[in-house]
Amino acid sequence: MSRSWWGKFFLLGFIVVLSGVYVYPTLANLDLEKTKFPFKQKINLGLDLQGGLYLVLGVDFNKVYKDVVERQSSSLKDRLKEKGITVTDMKILRDGFAPDDPRIALDFDKTKREEFYQILKKEFWTLRLAGEHEGHFELGLSHDYRAEVRERTLNQSIEVIRNRIDEFGVSEPAITSQGTDRIVVELPGVREVDRAKDLIGRTAKLEFKAVDDKTLSQVQLATLISEIEKANNFTYKEGQKFSDYVRKVNDLAKGKIPNDDEIAFERSKGLPGQAEAGRVPYLLHAKTAVTGDDLQDASVQLDPENRRPNVSFTLNPRGAALFDKFTADNIGHRLAIVLDNIVHSAPVIQSRIGGGRGQITLGRGDGDAMMKEAKDLAIVLRAGALPAQLDFLEQRVVGPSLGQDSIHKGAIASVIGSVAVFIFVAIYYQTSGLIAVFSLMLNVLFVLATLVGLEATLTLPGIAGIALTVGIAVDSNVVIYERIREELRFGKRPGSAVEAGFQKAFRTILDANVTNAAAGIVLLLYGTGPIKGFAVTLLIGIMTTLFTAVFVCRLIFDIYLKYLEDRGYQTLSI
Amino acid sequence: MLELIRPGLQIDFVGKRRIWMTVSAIAMAATLVLLFTKGLNYGIDFTGGAEVQIHVPAGSWDIGKLRNELETGGIQGLKVQQIGDAQSNQYLVKAQGHEDTLNLVAQHVRDILGKSLKAGEFEIQRVDVVGPAAGSSLRMSGFLSMFYALLCILIYVTVRFDYRYSPGAVLALLHDTILTVGIFILTQKQFDLQILAALLALIGYSNNDTIIVYDRVRETVHQHPELPIDKAVNRAVNETLGRTILTSLCTFITVSALWLFGGKVIEDFAFTLMVGIIVGTYSSIFIASSLVIVITHYHDRRLASGAKGGANVARKKKVILVRPEPKLN
Repeated sequence: MSRSWWGKFFLLGFIVVLSGVYVYPTLANLDLEKTKFPFKQKINLGLDLQGGLYLVLGVDFNKVYKDVVERQSSSLKDRLKEKGITVTDMKILRDGFAPDDPRIALDFDKTKREEFYQILKKEFWTLRLAGEHEGHFELGLSHDYRAEVRERTLNQSIEVIRNRIDEFGVSEPAITSQGTDRIVVELPGVREVDRAKDLIGRTAKLEFKAVDDKTLSQVQLATLISEIEKANNFTYKEGQKFSDYVRKVNDLAKGKIPNDDEIAFERSKGLPGQAEAGRVPYLLHAKTAVTGDDLQDASVQLDPENRRPNVSFTLNPRGAALFDKFTADNIGHRLAIVLDNIVHSAPVIQSRIGGGRGQITLGRGDGDAMMKEAKDLAIVLRAGALPAQLDFLEQRVVGPSLGQDSIHKGAIASVIGSVAVFIFVAIYYQTSGLIAVFSLMLNVLFVLATLVGLEATLTLPGIAGIALTVGIAVDSNVVIYERIREELRFGKRPGSAVEAGFQKAFRTILDANVTNAAAGIVLLLYGTGPIKGFAVTLLIGIMTTLFTAVFVCRLIFDIYLKYLEDRGYQTLSI
Repeated sequence: MLELIRPGLQIDFVGKRRIWMTVSAIAMAATLVLLFTKGLNYGIDFTGGAEVQIHVPAGSWDIGKLRNELETGGIQGLKVQQIGDAQSNQYLVKAQGHEDTLNLVAQHVRDILGKSLKAGEFEIQRVDVVGPAAGSSLRMSGFLSMFYALLCILIYVTVRFDYRYSPGAVLALLHDTILTVGIFILTQKQFDLQILAALLALIGYSNNDTIIVYDRVRETVHQHPELPIDKAVNRAVNETLGRTILTSLCTFITVSALWLFGGKVIEDFAFTLMVGIIVGTYSSIFIASSLVIVITHYHDRRLASGAKGGANVARKKKVILVRPEPKLN
């Protein structure tokens, strides 16, 4: 053998050994904790193969925009006051605009228009002038600021979800953004799916509000609500979004309750299967006394009297001071502890509460479930509130047994398909066929090793992708071999026929793989979850196919030719 | 030497090109008509909805009982169907509706089953919930992705071949994609994300055979400029017939193994590829080749009619004459 052969041969040997090392832990199913094998990494199995939870969450920005606009309007108000510009009317427009573009409308002294405009331009880049007629401005959020709000909200949401999941304990969670308004959460291997979903989706906005018992008693309020329901012919139905119901009640109650009050409900959870769950209305002062932002810690404790778990929390010094003042001002009144706009409890304030400690009691339930609920509540309170409400747009759950079944069947089908092709090629092309089979096997080895090396995820369509790679890789061998046969028919000697065959087939093989790769890349960009896994194996397969067809197969052919030459044979077994 | 196709074979593939092209054109038109009349049977990935796959103990449940229990349990608009064989005891519960209702379906199913069965006796194997909004955005991006894939390949083929070949390659590609979709409409198999992925893979793959044929056509035209285009194409198709069939056959073998043994989840995925490979092989041999002839004839006619036209002939002719023949290996 010539020197360059040896170089190539060693390179190939090195790659094969390296791939073998990468793939061995997976194929031998080593226990990575105990094994002495130096390379400790297995192929990542996708959700569809090991079971788990896949969620697409939509971020509801509308509420966020509204909050931001409110904050902006109050600081604008302050600034205008300082500058001596009289504002006769200022309000947030609620209706008549796209919900994602809330507006501030204000009337001001029209002689000060220019001055106002300058302030707006220099100090409030966050706002844009959306409409104007004499002495009247309509302001919306500027596009830059909206983009910033979106990005910040999205990133914060991801951060909060990550913190929650970390406390929940999932081995390899993936939490990523998709587009500008979606979050994809992938939790492979998760078994307690509902609990995980609950933990992720809950906003966990904790607020303390004073109950307004003076205007209406709870009984009067309940009557008012049932009157409103009757007059407008609606009621809350199971499965409906509760927040929508609450919003509707509040909208229709406007004018019948004080302007800065709002209606909220306490919900006693019905037992599973029991359709009707009770709801108790409260009239609250809308202004929040203290929020969960000032929370320092939350933990589960058992009530010494009834052994029921509850969540006790500690506020930070700022929150504690606010809470102290608030309780001092409201002795004898009730304090509503509101979580995600649902009243959890409303104890009467007996005395001023310093130190910023309190507890949230939970509803009824059996011991185990309540303990879990308490733990999860503590987790979400510690991890902080989500900056926006998240909606479940898409959820996919795969049970562990189905995943096992899929791996099993997918692997068997791939092996059967590959072996069938191997047999066919070996019979059809004889010795050269065996060379092809050998290079195809190496091809599969390389694909698997690359998957491990890139820490890519193998999914069921991915397994199909490997089988497909074998099918497509054989194509390359067929193209080369048919060329060689043709050259032999023209009367060329084996050596030059092989040379010409490889050379002429190369362009065709490259073309075929480029178009495959183009489709693969589009799939990779567009696909999610299992489909992405398919794209990844397809693309890896294209690379390894090019390598094995052009480099490996050729090298073995050269060795084979040398062998023939040494023995004086003149015919190629092809 | 084992030979599937004996060398020197001369079947007249392109002689009846009008028949092939008419058949294909009718099939494509029929597919488009069916697409707008009968329509694809979209899965929940594209329409939104919920699907819950459950496994219940043998003997204790039948499909009617399951449906009744679920209906009285408050799930609306549902369908229950058995999947796999009768012994597998697997059922698929499907429901449509508003996002928030959909999100509760799995919980309902569990609650209802939990009332009469012990935990561990039944299993929720899979839950897929796609909200209507997510469904329509998946459909949108799905079709966009197909468009982009076709566009990428169109660009590549245009750069790779010249004006006589690229329209044929692209048309053949469209032909394969459309007819495969047509089979999906006819069989009313569920069209979901996986099938879309298979179609995309097909868009990448089905050109391979066409490229083999075209490469050979170009080579033949280059080596034997005296041959009329239809003779040259026919020779090329015959010469590459063995490899066209063999390559398709090998891929077909692996894909059909997936179809037979890969289990329920991958079955339709493999089916798409099988159909696509068959259609793609047909189009490479019959359609793509015929299109080269048609397009070449068209250009020749334009050249000829241009010659009568006088002044601008020289320019036109020059453009074409100057275009260098692609270098062959």
